[in-house]
Amino acid sequence: MKKLHQAENRKNKSISYAKWGYIFIAPFFIAYIIFTLIPQFLTIYNSFFETYRDGLTQVGPNFVGLENYKALFTPEAEGTIRILKYAANTMIMWIAGAVPQFLIAILLALFFTSTRLNIKGQGIFKTVIYMPNLIMAAAFSMLFYTLFSRVGPIQALLEQWGVIDNNFDFFSHTITVRGMIALMNFLMWFGNTTIVLMAGIMGIDQDLFEAAAIDGANSVQVFFRVTLPLLMPILVYCLITALIGGIQMYDVPQVLTNGRGEPNELSRTLVMYLNGYLRNKNYGMAGAISVIIFIITGILGGIVYKILSAQYKEGAAKHRERKGNVI
Amino acid sequence: MKKTLAVLLATAMLFGLVACGSNGGGSSQPEEKTEQIEQTEQGKVFNIYAWNEEFKGFFEKYYTVPEGVTVNWIINPSDGGVYQEKLDEALLNQENAPADEKIDLFLAEADYIGKYVNSDYTMDVTSFGYQNADTMYDYTIKAASTDDGVCKGVSFQCCPAAVIYRKSIAKDVLGTDVPEEVQAKIDSWEKFDAVAADAKAKGYYMTASFAETFRAFSNNCTKPWVDENNNLQFDDQITAWMDQTDNYIKNGYTLTAGVWDTEKTNEMFKDGKTMCFFGPAWYYNFCMTNAQDPDNGCVGDWCIVKGPQAYFWGGTWLLAANGSDNTEMLKDIFETFTVNEDVCSKLVENENQYPNNTTVVDKYANDESYGNTSILDGQNDIKVFSELAKDIKWENHTNYDQLLNEGLQNKLQEYYKGSVDKDTAMKNFYNYVKETYANINVPE
Amino acid sequence: MRMSENTASRIKLAILRVIVYAILIFLCVLCLFFFYLMIVNASRSNAELAKGFSLLPKGSFIDNLKNAWNDGSINIPRGMLNSLFIALSTAVLTTYFSALTAYGIHVYDFKGKKFVFTFIMAIMMIPAQVSALGFVQVMTKFNLLNNYIPLILPGIAAPVVFFYMKQYMESVLPLEIIDAARVDGSGEFRTFNTIVLPILKPAIAVQMIFSFVTSWNNYFIPALLLDKAEMKTVPIMIAQLRSADYSKFDMGKVYMFILLSILPVLIIYIILSKSIIKGVTSGSVKG
Repeated sequence: MKKLHQAENRKNKSISYAKWGYIFIAPFFIAYIIFTLIPQFLTIYNSFFETYRDGLTQVGPNFVGLENYKALFTPEAEGTIRILKYAANTMIMWIAGAVPQFLIAILLALFFTSTRLNIKGQGIFKTVIYMPNLIMAAAFSMLFYTLFSRVGPIQALLEQWGVIDNNFDFFSHTITVRGMIALMNFLMWFGNTTIVLMAGIMGIDQDLFEAAAIDGANSVQVFFRVTLPLLMPILVYCLITALIGGIQMYDVPQVLTNGRGEPNELSRTLVMYLNGYLRNKNYGMAGAISVIIFIITGILGGIVYKILSAQYKEGAAKHRERKGNVI
Repeated sequence: MKKTLAVLLATAMLFGLVACGSNGGGSSQPEEKTEQIEQTEQGKVFNIYAWNEEFKGFFEKYYTVPEGVTVNWIINPSDGGVYQEKLDEALLNQENAPADEKIDLFLAEADYIGKYVNSDYTMDVTSFGYQNADTMYDYTIKAASTDDGVCKGVSFQCCPAAVIYRKSIAKDVLGTDVPEEVQAKIDSWEKFDAVAADAKAKGYYMTASFAETFRAFSNNCTKPWVDENNNLQFDDQITAWMDQTDNYIKNGYTLTAGVWDTEKTNEMFKDGKTMCFFGPAWYYNFCMTNAQDPDNGCVGDWCIVKGPQAYFWGGTWLLAANGSDNTEMLKDIFETFTVNEDVCSKLVENENQYPNNTTVVDKYANDESYGNTSILDGQNDIKVFSELAKDIKWENHTNYDQLLNEGLQNKLQEYYKGSVDKDTAMKNFYNYVKETYANINVPE
Repeated sequence: MRMSENTASRIKLAILRVIVYAILIFLCVLCLFFFYLMIVNASRSNAELAKGFSLLPKGSFIDNLKNAWNDGSINIPRGMLNSLFIALSTAVLTTYFSALTAYGIHVYDFKGKKFVFTFIMAIMMIPAQVSALGFVQVMTKFNLLNNYIPLILPGIAAPVVFFYMKQYMESVLPLEIIDAARVDGSGEFRTFNTIVLPILKPAIAVQMIFSFVTSWNNYFIPALLLDKAEMKTVPIMIAQLRSADYSKFDMGKVYMFILLSILPVLIIYIILSKSIIKGVTSGSVKG
């Protein structure tokens, strides 16, 4: 009944109200074109030029075609292509933080929404787990640095317990540096994800759980058969936003390692690499790196979108149908 | 769809034009006005770019700002070249900036002063009537002068540097803490290294940072970092420092901390185990605050000597920015901090500085009753520094020194901490150079 | 038989509850630990901090607060005002225009609508840093360095917030209401402002705080555009703390700065947290 009504409305609207659609979306596109699209094109344009500063003298811009890209992808003596190394660093550190982030968030969201568990003091728990998200990434990393530095308390404590010796340095081991970065990302974001996922679970009709319970499904089955498929759309939203954040990873490793990406540049991210050239006003190379990040984003985004959008549409359609039935 | 896009683009452009137009009009008007004023009187706003508050402190204490003039300090950190970036942007925009936003004075360090001196963004000091005095150290004038000898600024300090040692530790290791006797035992690098071994045997460190001795070597280089074809080159002094440091780390004579790291500065507390630190007069205030801690410090347990090799470190130059409309004030400031003997004396007595004024310096060097008690044991450090200052030469500097020195130390630190091998550390340094200075060629 | 099964499952539930509470408390302690650490460190003097770590607060809190608040080069009260202005303006613009855009697509049928939606979904993934280079060039051309316009206006185009609003509308905004308003003679903008916005309140509250926090903590772009002391935002000031001004280096003051920098966000969050969490969870994103 409702659907029919809507369809009718749509027909009317398309005649008289279409221009309002354009008017309403115009500010978005004007702002987007000025502040993002034009800069985006300029960035791509720059990537084909040799243009940098030597002291106070501007060198270039001289058109060099694809030279900047060639420089980016020329392997070093022992075969590393640095931009790919930084891309791998970024992804590894993101995944190391995102996996626990999503697992814990799903778990907590289930805890909070479970009527059987009926958790008391939910408000306080939810407020607290979201709080790390409020701290500036830079300030958070500074705190971490003071905790884990050579003269910090954790070093002293672990030495006392005999876990590490006096020469141990958290900042000269790949696993510890990456671990710290992943841990920080996890702490900053798991609360946020929990709350959003919880919203998703609460949006699922209780009738479905009841129906599943009547059919004799246990809680694991309910989760995989009912909750997860219906949670897919919101999970897509969370994954995509998390991935965007992951690719942009900058403040945390930058401040934690004071811009060095130690050890051996294994905690250096793509944006740290980009920022190095940006700050030196080497716009040619910075442009080329930006384009590469853009392409990497496109590929990753495409994959995520492709894998999940099928389920997304399916889930959404099913869900809407069910809702219709209930009404 | 095409039409909508065209409309959107047109709107965007219009928006851009309006924004552009109104802004252009807004900024050009005051400029015309102030230019008229400029001919008759001096500007009302004085802008100073600096990378820390050292000079700001002296300026506020010892210089009286003319009535009606506001002084703006624009301070950006030096670390990682941020100060240079921000300063460069402002200088490149100097011509278009309204008079009250133009830089009048900016500070520069030895490591990159040439970049600004040899540019049109600095002003000949004689153009506003300032004359370099005979009492100034020659190297400070040379550093602030173009290749043709046009001087663009002054330094308020001279930075001969020494070995600053802990007396109690020297007594234990060397059996003496008298400066002359200590100096005799460390007056060459061979002897210094031998003492390092003795110190280690007694449970002390010779230095507290792998890079502590860097300046003693690097300021004695006989060739610059970059040759005339823009190729990166290593001077023998730099390689000598690397060899020494390899040896010190291997034997545990020093720590893997950087020059500015807390792990190093903590060694200056009373219970520190480090015998030698390397630095000029400004080092007292900058790096030795822990030594001056009322509860855990060790004021009076320090003396200075020349050490293995004379050198200087750092220094702050005041450069006159081209386009300044406060030239009278510039002249006044320059004179206050170079020829005003009263102010220069106060810099010695109250601020632990070594001023750029030989008359004042000689006064304290020859004064038997003068002694530094705020850090040292009452030793006349001005006397020691004045001997060292005579030999300072200004040569083999490039505009790239700051970031090359910083980068080399940062990349090698990873090697000294054991996380990479030396070849990898050097490869990372070359990559860093390539990223930082596209025009410098590095070995493949 | 039935009884014992019941008790068994009740015991099981009790054990499960203990585990769940243990996990929750552990995570909360972990989260709060950093705030506690900040407060403790902000109450210790530089010398006390240098001596080592302690979990007990000391008596220098007021001194550090005075030093930080009156610091000559880092004018934190000014920075907080600047950040507050930017973050509030951005939050308002972002949420209003995202809702407007989402509404435009949700309610109206127009040519290219599908393309527009797909387009916004596609650009959602593009990191801001990728266009930073061109952004700075354009802003320099427009003479907008040291200006807040480039920090506030781009908020109008926020694809992620748009996406959220669109999802929200799909679940809570029946088109009948709009039709009813039209029948009553309400103009399209009036309908949006007076009828639709109130319905979107929970979603707006959530995205307001999200975008406020994001803007308040933003460092990358402001650092490229601002260098005048009186224009600087809090994150730029915090980054400045790392600078090597060793003569005046006071770690106690540094911690106080960090504490001050998060305090406004924290206060706003704690006041609003109830309605925020309600907003997110009030059957919002149903997909």
